[in-house]
Amino acid sequence: MKFSYNWMAELVSGLEATPQELMRLITIKTAECDGVEPFGEHLSNVVAARVLEAEDIPGSHNRKALIDAGALGRHTVVCGAPNCRAGITTAWVQPGTSLGGKQIGRRMFDAIESAGMLASAAELGINKDNEGIVELGDLAPGTPLPRLTPDHVIEVDNKSLTHRPDLWGHHGMAREVAAITGAKLLEPANVSLIPTTPSPVAVSIEDLQLCPRYSALLFENVTVQPSPLWLQQRLQAVGLNPINNIVDVTNFVMAELGQPMHAFDADKLASPAIYVRNAHQDETFTALNGETYTLTPASLVIADAKGAIALAGVIGGMDSAIGDGTTRLLLESANFHAASIRRTSSRLKLRTDASMRFEKSQDPVNTVRGIARAIELLQEVSPGIRMVGGLADAAAPSKPAPVIELRMDWLIRKLGRPIEASQVRNILEALRFEVKDANEGVFEVTVPSWRATKDISIKDDLVEEVGRMIGYATIDPVAPLVPTHPPADNPRRRHFRALRALAAAEGYTEVYNYSFVSEETAQRFGLPGEAHIKVANPISADQGLLRISLVPGIWRNVTENSKYLDTFQLFEIGHEIHRHDGPLANEVPHLVAAVYERHGNTGPFYEAKRLASCMLPGCETRPATAQLHEHPSRAAEVLWRGQTVGRLFEFHPNFVTGRAAVLDLNIAAMEAIGPVEKRYQPIRRFPSSEFDLSVISGKRALVGEIESQIVSFAGAMLESIAFLRQYEGAPLPEGSKSVSFQLSVAARDRTLASEEVAGIRDTIINGMRGLGYDMRV
Amino acid sequence: MLDQQLESLAASTRDRILAAATSDQLEAVRVEVLGRKGTLAEISKGMGKLTPDERKRIGQLLNAAKTNLEAALESRQKQFADAALNARLEAEWIDVTLPAPGPRPGSLHPLTQIQQELEDLFTSMGVAVLDGPEVESEYNNFDALNIPPDHPARDMQDTFWLADGNVLRTHTSPVQVRGMAKLGPPLLMIAPGRVFRNEEVDASHEHTFYQLEGMMVGRDVSIATMLYFMKLLLRHIFGREVTVRLRPGFFPFVEPGFELDIQCLICGGPGCPVCKHSGWVELMPCGLVHPNVLRMGGIDPDEWSGFAFGLGLTRLVMMRYGIDDIRHLQSGDLRFLRQF
Repeated sequence: MKFSYNWMAELVSGLEATPQELMRLITIKTAECDGVEPFGEHLSNVVAARVLEAEDIPGSHNRKALIDAGALGRHTVVCGAPNCRAGITTAWVQPGTSLGGKQIGRRMFDAIESAGMLASAAELGINKDNEGIVELGDLAPGTPLPRLTPDHVIEVDNKSLTHRPDLWGHHGMAREVAAITGAKLLEPANVSLIPTTPSPVAVSIEDLQLCPRYSALLFENVTVQPSPLWLQQRLQAVGLNPINNIVDVTNFVMAELGQPMHAFDADKLASPAIYVRNAHQDETFTALNGETYTLTPASLVIADAKGAIALAGVIGGMDSAIGDGTTRLLLESANFHAASIRRTSSRLKLRTDASMRFEKSQDPVNTVRGIARAIELLQEVSPGIRMVGGLADAAAPSKPAPVIELRMDWLIRKLGRPIEASQVRNILEALRFEVKDANEGVFEVTVPSWRATKDISIKDDLVEEVGRMIGYATIDPVAPLVPTHPPADNPRRRHFRALRALAAAEGYTEVYNYSFVSEETAQRFGLPGEAHIKVANPISADQGLLRISLVPGIWRNVTENSKYLDTFQLFEIGHEIHRHDGPLANEVPHLVAAVYERHGNTGPFYEAKRLASCMLPGCETRPATAQLHEHPSRAAEVLWRGQTVGRLFEFHPNFVTGRAAVLDLNIAAMEAIGPVEKRYQPIRRFPSSEFDLSVISGKRALVGEIESQIVSFAGAMLESIAFLRQYEGAPLPEGSKSVSFQLSVAARDRTLASEEVAGIRDTIINGMRGLGYDMRV
Repeated sequence: MLDQQLESLAASTRDRILAAATSDQLEAVRVEVLGRKGTLAEISKGMGKLTPDERKRIGQLLNAAKTNLEAALESRQKQFADAALNARLEAEWIDVTLPAPGPRPGSLHPLTQIQQELEDLFTSMGVAVLDGPEVESEYNNFDALNIPPDHPARDMQDTFWLADGNVLRTHTSPVQVRGMAKLGPPLLMIAPGRVFRNEEVDASHEHTFYQLEGMMVGRDVSIATMLYFMKLLLRHIFGREVTVRLRPGFFPFVEPGFELDIQCLICGGPGCPVCKHSGWVELMPCGLVHPNVLRMGGIDPDEWSGFAFGLGLTRLVMMRYGIDDIRHLQSGDLRFLRQF
């Protein structure tokens, strides 16, 4: 929302703060400002000038004009405008003016020195009219353009006005400024201008909940023409486009009082009656923007006897729009239910200056002020305009003003600093609350109508009013009284932290990936689209699903980083988000790590397995059927204490250039298994005996399997078994390998005799032979 | 006679000890002179012929000579041992600059680092760290936070809606609701986590970012106690005292609501491009918990009062490390991530 400094200065008598200072005050007391910019700075160097002579310059489309600028003398100006002709009074920009970033001086055009320039309204920043130079009527040459002065525009963040319907107009902000600075607020609307005679227009409101008030006034003898330049400049300053005098007045009142208004061409209405009703099912309506909307009863319309003439609170209709030929107009100033307007506007994706205001819950009292202000302006911009009858005003019974009980001790406790009751009273009264003494230390505070629609309803709201006005800087920090106790434990966070620390210490760099995945990627990884939760309004089609695996993200990381690096290791901890039958989603934490080597072979796979062993001491891996993205001969399940907790695989060569192995651990599954309870074992007092064993097996026999078979034959004396090496080649037969282990056997109560050790060894050898292995003895 | 014999033996042996070039030569001298059949032993055999007085005297000389020679031998022996050790040590030179084997450490994501740092701070102050789901119900994300349907405040947060009617949480604030239900009053909690906004991504906007929600509910919670807590937090984050200011800010789940600004750390107040020449940098929204929110969390607002704040972790990370493009954080680019 843009605020014109000049406009505010007109509404606050004796405003002394500079635009910058005003912005600072608004920011710390009321609402966040995004900045302040000068607007129309050049206007102080623009004066009226009369064109005395204008002649074509041969060979150029420019004209040479001699102008009379009164006391500023006569000058020659080169001008390209088609309407540059003798006799008109126009705007002369004096040399030495900066205009739209351009320096206007004395410059040669077509070999003629031009002093300054004659300007169009667009060049002056008043409207978008660039057809020709402005024609000012009979203004004395050399005088400034009337009411066109340099301004400043303060931009206030709309989000910070969400709860303040009253600040969507200059007068509301002026009220704040007056309260902040102690200056006097002026009232621009003179309600006594409204005739008290009956109106020829009948207004009927179907649902007073949806339309608490509808005020209208009929005018005749209307002249539609451009607004005076000062009015156009005002609108331009606050970001509204000047259109014609009538529409401009409605926008001016909206920008001043926050009250959206609409003007219908009264001769284009089918009846002198206005109906505020829900749209009929499939009723069509062509709006001012040229679009035709098909409505449902969920939208409120303004209708005449024939049909919808406006979408209530959002936009007017094309058929009843003000045009050059308009001579009678019906001026609407109404109030609508905020949520209903908001629903209509979001359903139709049509946000207008009006809907933005109505959805904040406007004050029904304001409709009449709007009409009163418009009367005065219309009389200025459309000379001869006449009111026909008085105000048509249908309204719900006005609600009693809310009264809030405010206890001083409670207020002081909330603020955390002492404050005098008299100061509280002054602050609230400056903000136009009514303050009555109820009891000792208790106020009864009556909320003004413009704050009562939604903004202020409970005593906590008054804490803010008092707090911001005394200035939060006057509140000193105070240590809270808190019972101290160790906080509730969060074992999952501890676990995450331990895993992260371990992964980083083992050489892995942490990445964060998005929670989104595209349908295409999901398919590529064999993840069925219907298993995913879909985003109803994705930013783009490739972010339409919520990830049910972290692997696609990690794959992207591998692909991207392999462009720059020959080897790397990375990991992510994040949530898989699965559909399930509960109310929300099933979010499963996973750790996914990747190891990449451009020229490697088995290195990445076993490195990833090493990481698994660090995280899950004693974990095992078992060959698994490969998924689409996995190397068919290099895929495994990870088991920990008998339970599957993850997957270990190398990416299929179709997915990655080079070798990339992935460890994907389900952290929830790891947590479910829980820690091992540890018991102390006395240290063995008798020495152990070691011996080696070599097993000849088929080339693809699994070492893990051979080892567990050996263990199964070794019996209770086996203390440990360690894989030593495997070997293929001569003198072993083709297709076989030798796998060697070192075993250690011992007894708790004695040193094993060599015969006992040999006995264990023989048992193993015989057992293994029984399974069909050759043993090298 | 024996005197001279002894003296000349001692003298010549001392010379030979000093002259020995190896440990073996030294040993040969020892055996020859001090050995059981050595020269000294020979000399002592001749003592039988002497008078008791002479025997005693010569015996003393003999012992003295033996002790002296043994000491000389030992000292020389030690020289050899030392030299041998020194030679070995010298030969065992290694290149200490060779890189060590084993994995090079990786690194934690800067967001993880800052989050853990803050979790530690809060935990040390007795604050519980809570989690909430990333997929939230519309009710928890909005309604329970005093943002009813059709409230314009819903526009303040561009929302990702899911096909099942849930949302990707737009802030960590829903964890307030969960925290109140879980802990009951009085309570002190934080909830760091991933949040989502339906926004186009560019250098300063992300649809996925990180927040840290904080909430305290107690009997004497006020703007003043909130300010105390905030300053404590900021002193820790920035490692020095920072000047803060509160100004009005609208968030439906707090009343009054604030934006907390810190005095620009770059220019210190006079204004610079970083603070857009205002001298202040907006850091975190906060406020006293709205009584409706307390009520929806099952807490009686007449008895209890609370404050809440939301700290943008992503922003904090960018400020701390001077990161100029938010997209780096979720790029997975190791050239970026290895810097932390």
